[in-house]
Amino acid sequence: MEMQATIFLPIGMGLIVIGASLGIGKFASAAAESIARQPEAADKITAAVNLPLFLLEGVAILAEVFTFLMLIL
Amino acid sequence: MSTAVSGGVMEQVGPNIIHHVTNSDIAHPILHLPTIFGIDFSVTKHVFMLWLVALLVSVTVIIPVRRYVNGKKMIPSGLANLIEMVIVFIRDSIVRPNVGTRWVNTWSPLIFTLFFFILFSNAIGMIPIFDVLGLLDRFALNTQADSMVNHLLHGGTTATGNFNVTGALAVVTFFTIMIAGTKAHGFIKHWKNLVPHGLAWPVYIILIPIELMGLIVKPFALTMRLAANMTGGHIALLALLSLMAIFGEMFHSTAAGVGVAFVAVPMAVAISGLEIIVILVQAYVFTLLTAVFVGMAINVHH
Repeated sequence: MEMQATIFLPIGMGLIVIGASLGIGKFASAAAESIARQPEAADKITAAVNLPLFLLEGVAILAEVFTFLMLIL
Repeated sequence: MSTAVSGGVMEQVGPNIIHHVTNSDIAHPILHLPTIFGIDFSVTKHVFMLWLVALLVSVTVIIPVRRYVNGKKMIPSGLANLIEMVIVFIRDSIVRPNVGTRWVNTWSPLIFTLFFFILFSNAIGMIPIFDVLGLLDRFALNTQADSMVNHLLHGGTTATGNFNVTGALAVVTFFTIMIAGTKAHGFIKHWKNLVPHGLAWPVYIILIPIELMGLIVKPFALTMRLAANMTGGHIALLALLSLMAIFGEMFHSTAAGVGVAFVAVPMAVAISGLEIIVILVQAYVFTLLTAVFVGMAINVHH
């Protein structure tokens, strides 16, 4: 049981982090494109992107924390 | 924390890192306080850092601001000027767009407090003043192993790295959301605003449990985000610096350890630079998310 946990937990964490980073990358590219289209709206776009960015980063951090916790306990 | 070598370096590195980032043992606190209602109030490492941060924030913010408010000049100068810059930035870019002009002055002080407290607490965790003093104590002063001074000098720590501390801050956010919604709409209406109106009734069966869970999950995410970011950064830093000891032990020579130091220490400096950015960003994010949740309770979305 311990053996399987030690192998599969980091794989799961890696999958979650891949998902989170793909999402953040998509966000950043969409934001960059729309700022390039309309530079006057740069502030609003940044404000709109800010919130989901940090929520998604929180997902990745939560994945790390729970993996660490499950490996310890 | 024992300084006796009880095993190889490899066995000591892991527990050493864990000791650095977690709270000191409740059985050996810095200051023994009585147990009230079954809660042991003794002062441990994190509690001491909390007090220190609270003292520093109060002194740094309250004294210049009071001097400016009670003074004659229209334009603040010195530290009050810097504080005003930060406060105006937070109020105009975080609080006002989310909460709305009507409630800005009601909720701004809380947001400022959260921001300054988290910023100071994170930043003081990065300053190794207690470790330096502990080094001084060990080699120069040699106080007794059990004295309060010795316990104090076992290293400062990041108060917000403890998820109980950030959990307390998240509880503040939780009640703030409820109070904000109640003030704006009334008690019953705030709860009715949890789900949007005008949907077909089968949707409500799924939506209401999800929204209720969201009430708990959002502060929980706030807690873990801040605690994990702070603790993770410190663990990475300590692990890098432990590489020197590990390599010295693996090759049984001091030269290997010193050689690795030429790589490990610059990397640790780089990670510390990243940590400074993370400190600012995490304080900003906690504050921003609190403002957004309060705004969501006040201006019903949809």
